[in-house]
Amino acid sequence: MIVCIAVVGHQNNPLYIQSFTEADDALKLHHIVHCSLDVVDERVNNPKKSGPMINETFLGLLYPTENYKVYGYLTNTKVKFILVTTDLDVRDADVRNFFRRFHSAYLDAVSNPFHVPGKKITSKTFAERVSTIVKSVSFNTAG
Amino acid sequence: MADPAYSALRKILLDEITPAVMVLPTPLVEERCQKNGLSFVQMLTPFCVFNNIDVPVRTASDQPYRLQKFKLRMFYASDVRQQNVEVTKERLKQVITDAGNNKDSDLYLDPSPIETIPISSQPDFIPTWFQFFNKELVRSVSFSDHEAFDHPVACLLVVSSNDKDPINKFVELFNMNQLPPLLNDGAMDPKIPKVFVLVHDNQDGSPERATKILAEMRNTFGANDCRLLCINSLQGEALDHEPNPWEFYMPNASPDQHLGRLLNKEDVDELKDFVRDLSSKDIIPNMEQRIRVLNQQVSATRKGFRNQIKNLWWRKGKEDAPENQSVNMYTFSSIESQIRVLGDYAFMLRDYELALSNYRLLSTDYKLDKAWKRYAGVQEMMGLTYFMLNQSKKDAEYCMENAFTTYLRIGTSGKGNATRCGLWWVEMLKASGQYKEAAGVYFRISGEEPLHSAVMLEQASYCYLLAKPIMLRKYGFHLILSGDLYKKCDQIKHAIRAYRNALSVFKGTTWSHIRDHVHFHIGQWYAFLGRFDVAMKHMLEIVACSHQSKPMQELFMKNFFQILQKTGKTYKISRLQLPIVNINSLNIVSEDHRTYGSPAAVSVKESIWQSLEEEMVPSLTNAKTTWLDLQSKLLPNKLKQSNVCVAGEALMVEIAFKNPLQLSIPIYSVTLMCEYSPNEIIPDANNSFVDQSIEDEKTTSDASLFTLSEVDITLTGGETTLAQLSVTPIKEGRLKVTGVSWKLSDSMVGFYAFEPDLIKKRISKGRRKAKQNTNKLEFLVIKSLPRLEGIINNLPSTVYTGNLQRLSLELRNSSEIPVKNLKMKISHPRFLNIGNPEKSDVNFPSCLEKEKTPSQKDADLDTTKKSDTIFHFPEDTIIHKETPFVLPLWFRAATPGNVSLYLTIYYEVEDKSTAMRYRTLRTHHILEVLPSLDVSFNISPCPSRLQEYIVQMDVINKGLKSLKLRQLSSVGSEWQISLIESIQDIIPSGNLASGQSLSCFLKLKNAKTTETATDVWLGRIGNEAVFDTQRAPLVNFHHYEQLHQKTSHKEQEHQSTVDFMLISEMEETETENKPPQIFSHHACHCRQCGNEETDMVAIGRATDYSL
Repeated sequence: MIVCIAVVGHQNNPLYIQSFTEADDALKLHHIVHCSLDVVDERVNNPKKSGPMINETFLGLLYPTENYKVYGYLTNTKVKFILVTTDLDVRDADVRNFFRRFHSAYLDAVSNPFHVPGKKITSKTFAERVSTIVKSVSFNTAG
Repeated sequence: MADPAYSALRKILLDEITPAVMVLPTPLVEERCQKNGLSFVQMLTPFCVFNNIDVPVRTASDQPYRLQKFKLRMFYASDVRQQNVEVTKERLKQVITDAGNNKDSDLYLDPSPIETIPISSQPDFIPTWFQFFNKELVRSVSFSDHEAFDHPVACLLVVSSNDKDPINKFVELFNMNQLPPLLNDGAMDPKIPKVFVLVHDNQDGSPERATKILAEMRNTFGANDCRLLCINSLQGEALDHEPNPWEFYMPNASPDQHLGRLLNKEDVDELKDFVRDLSSKDIIPNMEQRIRVLNQQVSATRKGFRNQIKNLWWRKGKEDAPENQSVNMYTFSSIESQIRVLGDYAFMLRDYELALSNYRLLSTDYKLDKAWKRYAGVQEMMGLTYFMLNQSKKDAEYCMENAFTTYLRIGTSGKGNATRCGLWWVEMLKASGQYKEAAGVYFRISGEEPLHSAVMLEQASYCYLLAKPIMLRKYGFHLILSGDLYKKCDQIKHAIRAYRNALSVFKGTTWSHIRDHVHFHIGQWYAFLGRFDVAMKHMLEIVACSHQSKPMQELFMKNFFQILQKTGKTYKISRLQLPIVNINSLNIVSEDHRTYGSPAAVSVKESIWQSLEEEMVPSLTNAKTTWLDLQSKLLPNKLKQSNVCVAGEALMVEIAFKNPLQLSIPIYSVTLMCEYSPNEIIPDANNSFVDQSIEDEKTTSDASLFTLSEVDITLTGGETTLAQLSVTPIKEGRLKVTGVSWKLSDSMVGFYAFEPDLIKKRISKGRRKAKQNTNKLEFLVIKSLPRLEGIINNLPSTVYTGNLQRLSLELRNSSEIPVKNLKMKISHPRFLNIGNPEKSDVNFPSCLEKEKTPSQKDADLDTTKKSDTIFHFPEDTIIHKETPFVLPLWFRAATPGNVSLYLTIYYEVEDKSTAMRYRTLRTHHILEVLPSLDVSFNISPCPSRLQEYIVQMDVINKGLKSLKLRQLSSVGSEWQISLIESIQDIIPSGNLASGQSLSCFLKLKNAKTTETATDVWLGRIGNEAVFDTQRAPLVNFHHYEQLHQKTSHKEQEHQSTVDFMLISEMEETETENKPPQIFSHHACHCRQCGNEETDMVAIGRATDYSL
């Protein structure tokens, strides 16, 4: 289950953070997302192991915590997408696919002429679309 | 890679993995030593460290080398045992608590920003007590039976020369059953080398007795193993050792304890020599000897191909043995234990190659035996040996990891060892600059014990800070985790430190959820410690928590006010974010010579007023008339350039407050902040030139100089409220509006200083002047002036079109100074007309009726003749204090729609000495006009006669109420009008209901005689009270209607036209007493058009929807 999805601007400022849990753990997820930015930076600045991954937007598993797995995705405009999931058995292809769909939703949201670049995404349509994508995605290979 | 020779780990290992010496003193020895404030062990400790002992040693393979650095660890026999877990826990907790209390001083200072922290290997801000704590942790697992370096290599038996029968005492000391469990349960060889020490206190007498005993000892125990130690030789004054060698080892001792006060220099030297001799002549040779013996044994049993095969075979058989081996499976005599002792001894004597080979050998054995703890211990030592050999970093780390995970795997008994192993591993990683990995290990060390975890997480965070590239966010995150754990263990001060350090990461970022959380908790914790002032600093950061959920906001606010209350201080916070001041909404209304009747008038565009006043107000640039000359003198440069306000008159300021929260917040005492400086303007009108450079710097904010209004507002969640504030200057001078302040509670005052540069200001009325003026918030206060106030009495807010009413304008002057020379202009004379001021008691509407005898024309008829409608009040009109002047006004709702009426009244001040000679009063009235009758006329020539026409009148009642037609008149005396058929036939009731229409025909005849019947009565018969259309106000209004309707018929002016006026009335149903409402509808310039056409149509519309 996806517990949190976040969009982080190129100055590492949060643009959109949405958790999909009932529990009151927004703060924890904020921390996890914030923390994962260090790993994103590290991945981006040390492209040594990126041989075939060059110009790849999908950053892969950023780090596993006790209960979560955190995945990252970097757009051309240095906007980061962070995904936190509780599924422990996840195929990269699924996540990649999810990010691709999420990216297009994000593109539509920022193409809105009323969206101020670099400001938080407040679009309701975007939120709805994201939650649809999140609901439709199941990472469990068994499922 | 950093040279491990200087690394922290190397120092630690040389400190911790050194030979241990067991000490068994008699109580009398302790007593003698305590005279110095020291125990026997404490007394010796400072001298156990040698930097240059220079002892020749040979390796097992007879390679000579010299030991330089050496250290002995002295322990009482009673301490040579594993510590109780609970006791250890308590001690560690105490270490942390003490550290927290010691840090008191800088806890309340502002943390240094992260950028300024020098990134060196050991930055200053990392608490030094970590090392101490880690050392304690490492020591807590000492004296385990699975490793040998803690096993005492020698035993000191210490007896005082005062002891009775000292020889027996020596025997007793070692035979007592208080020997450490290590010796008793067979983990180590009980045949430990012993050294017999006789301690003589020189205060007890001469050392003769002692030398006698020593001789006896030498006979009994052998000459080499006996020593004499003389202490307390100092006579008289206590001696303060400088530097005191004991101080470093007993940091808790107070200076007045005078550690070692009875030990003179000779004593100290003797102690030094004693330990040095012990090390170089006993311990090191003994260990060397032991290594040699053990190595031979090991070689004999384990080295070589045959032994290896044998060993493998033998081990295999053991696989069937149960996994839970008894503790004593490896006694000191077992070959495994001997290899371990060999390895550890070799390690301690720096023969790392030998140590490593033995550890390797042992490692496989233990692994085969599944003796995991021992296996882990050996792996750990292998890792350390690799490290000390400074080779194969990878192997070293692999061994450490292996040891660490193995320790963890065996459960609780391995936990302490895992921690120790982890700490060493961390140091190893740090030594090679792998801070990120080190942080990861710290994280793994942190177990379930929250307090330890807190310390470990905090250490991990500092590793992230030192990592390259720096990992600030992880640093912050781990500090937060650590802080939470500290809090869990009631280590508030530590928690605050952790959070405060974390704050440097989150400050200035947009991660407001996290930042709020950090501030909130720091605030709460400071409050818990009673430091409310510091707590407040942090609580202030979270007041504008608009992004938080409502319950969070409530929680924040609750705590905020609680802490605020407890501080007992009053805070004055600039730009307090609760509520938010919308500076762009700032609007200052100042009245100089322009005064306003109502707030609505203020918001009207200045250009409208200016166009109205154009002809009334003397222009400053125009110097044609004499009094205008005077005026330009009266308004000196300064006055022209700055905003002017009048003493005693309020300056209105509007500013919007926005509540960012979802909660409703009341704010109190919203008021302006003003500065007053005495004026430099001399009120003398003729000599009021002011040099602008001479500014009076002295500013005061005395309440007697101006009065401020205070407003209380309650802002509901998310609401923006426009606060209307005012300041009333009392004295002449300069008044500067500097800001706005409000109270969130009694002790929390927020203010917002207006910065002139930042404000894109609209001072509504000073626009023209303000352009030259840089400071729009500064006002020149001039002497109190009369200020007229005007009201139009009975002005309806909603009327029907055509409604004619009599109103009155009431002008009041509250000042002592009378005003004169009044003039007035009305923006829409179609709607408002001025009545005759002399006839203020006329009876409306009967005053409109035709008088039986034609009288002279009304005086106020003249007003209509003036094209530009400036109404001059009668020459002698002077309005004094408290005697209102009433001017009758006629009102007629000319067109439907929303109508704005502007009135501006000009007046001059009687007092010649004022800086301002005239003022204007501007009033603005808005009313809604509803449609009523729609009248149209259609004129066609009479087929039978010339100069006669047939008029068709169509009337539709578009209003909501029924109207009664009253009369139709042709205006002027040119046209005679008469009904063709009786009106009663067409509409018997005379009432025209809502939506009803009426059409009737009339005959129009051109008559040049004076006595023409220009009026046709349409009302009930017998009640003919015909209104005179030639009288005011009907004629006046008709005049304006005529002017207004003329525009559309300009090109046909040569034709003869006729104007009609339809008068109707509406009965007031609710109130019987009131006279009916009179309506007049005017149709002007009606004419016959299109002669050639068979169907001739002339159209005049009575209503015109465009203004």
